[in-house]
Amino acid sequence: MENKQFSSPASFVDSTVVPGDVVLDLSSMTSQTIKLGGGLRQDCDAISAMKAGTLRFSKPNKYWIESSQKRYVPCVEDTILGIVVDSKADNFLIDIKGPAMGFLPVLAFEGGTRRNIPKFEVGTLLYLRVVKANFGMNPELSCTDASGKAAEFGPLKDGYMFETSTGLSRKLLSSPTCPVLEALGKKLSFEIAVGLNGRVWVNAASPDTIVVVANAIMNSESLSGAQQIIMVDHLLKNIQ
Amino acid sequence: MEVDGEDGRTQNQLRPLACSHNILYRAHGSASWSLRTRTLRKQTGQIDNLLKSYLMRMRPWLNGNKEALEFKFHHVWVWFRYSGLPLEEAYEMILKRTLQSICHLTINPNTTTSIIIQVINDDSALLSCAINAACVALVDAGIPTKHVAVAICCCVAKSGCKMKAFAYLAFPNSVHSVLPERSSSMQGKPIEHGIVTSVTNGIMSADNYFYSLERGRAASVRVVRVSQEELATALN
Repeated sequence: MENKQFSSPASFVDSTVVPGDVVLDLSSMTSQTIKLGGGLRQDCDAISAMKAGTLRFSKPNKYWIESSQKRYVPCVEDTILGIVVDSKADNFLIDIKGPAMGFLPVLAFEGGTRRNIPKFEVGTLLYLRVVKANFGMNPELSCTDASGKAAEFGPLKDGYMFETSTGLSRKLLSSPTCPVLEALGKKLSFEIAVGLNGRVWVNAASPDTIVVVANAIMNSESLSGAQQIIMVDHLLKNIQ
Repeated sequence: MEVDGEDGRTQNQLRPLACSHNILYRAHGSASWSLRTRTLRKQTGQIDNLLKSYLMRMRPWLNGNKEALEFKFHHVWVWFRYSGLPLEEAYEMILKRTLQSICHLTINPNTTTSIIIQVINDDSALLSCAINAACVALVDAGIPTKHVAVAICCCVAKSGCKMKAFAYLAFPNSVHSVLPERSSSMQGKPIEHGIVTSVTNGIMSADNYFYSLERGRAASVRVVRVSQEELATALN
């Protein structure tokens, strides 16, 4: 078995790596500062991959491994959908599909004071923002944006929530608009909230629409853009 | 396994391999690994050695200390032979040690990773199948690992296909690297010449054992390629 030798780290960028592949050699880049994202680990002078995925690079100095999982790893400034599991004196405990429960402080709402603490039942679905996500600690969440305004965060009423992989949620939130959402939006009217932790919430006037939208999104994970549009046309033809 | 087989393989040929992943909906990661035997002339029942391995969700520890990795080994079809508990426990322990050495356990403190191996069909070489399936399932779930372990079952046979002994061997996979060849080796040997696990059964001479190691390493190249192709097709 040969170790393939490459002269520059750009050779691995945008290609598939498996755990164990050494993707960067720091001894040849002594004067740069490099930021490592998820999936990469430093062993002395070598940066090796811990996950299977595609190595991505963004200028000037960020490397990360992009992969799609069912498990979510909390990151700061992610918008996610969480489900209330318990409420304590200071925090709500929220399940965010990650390794630990998230804490939502009872005051983290617009105009929140001790007198008007919201009462969430167990099982309420909330649209939240991750404020702190430190290693080994429970992530801290919030129902306001960075400046303290509500900005659409908070409980989501009615509708239907389903789970997807993290890769599909990122595709749904990418710009330009994901082809499946655009194709659905041309014919149907619905409301959607996508959490980067792999949860999607759909609401529409009639249950038929909700089911069609949910099925279309779930089917679109492995399809290319053109195939997604064809699939959506097929689904919509069948119900009209 | 590399044995003069009734299915027409020569001594140095591997059984056909097949691998697929992400087959279960609820588990964080899942994989299925099968070693196929071509149809046997006698009617013995089992044709395929098919193993499913799936990872339950990683649970936060609610109270007390728990093991970082816990295993359960299930035989789906057990009536054909007496599967005493000690054998399964031994397999669980070997699997646990092997996978503990390749996982980065410090990345997620206070969590338990549950791995369940389900045996669909057993036609020998069970442990190597289980290790391969568990590794692919770990990678599928995105659990950080140091490298992927690749397992082979190597048989030592007298002529006339009577098996004297066999060994289960697991090696780390070879890595693609940007480093110059010297620095990616450990103590002068390339990293894929290391060995993660070796379990032997029966009587074999030391020469035979080292010969099996060589054959196993050569065979692991093909096994690695199968699992890497599987992961690559999913990512594209």
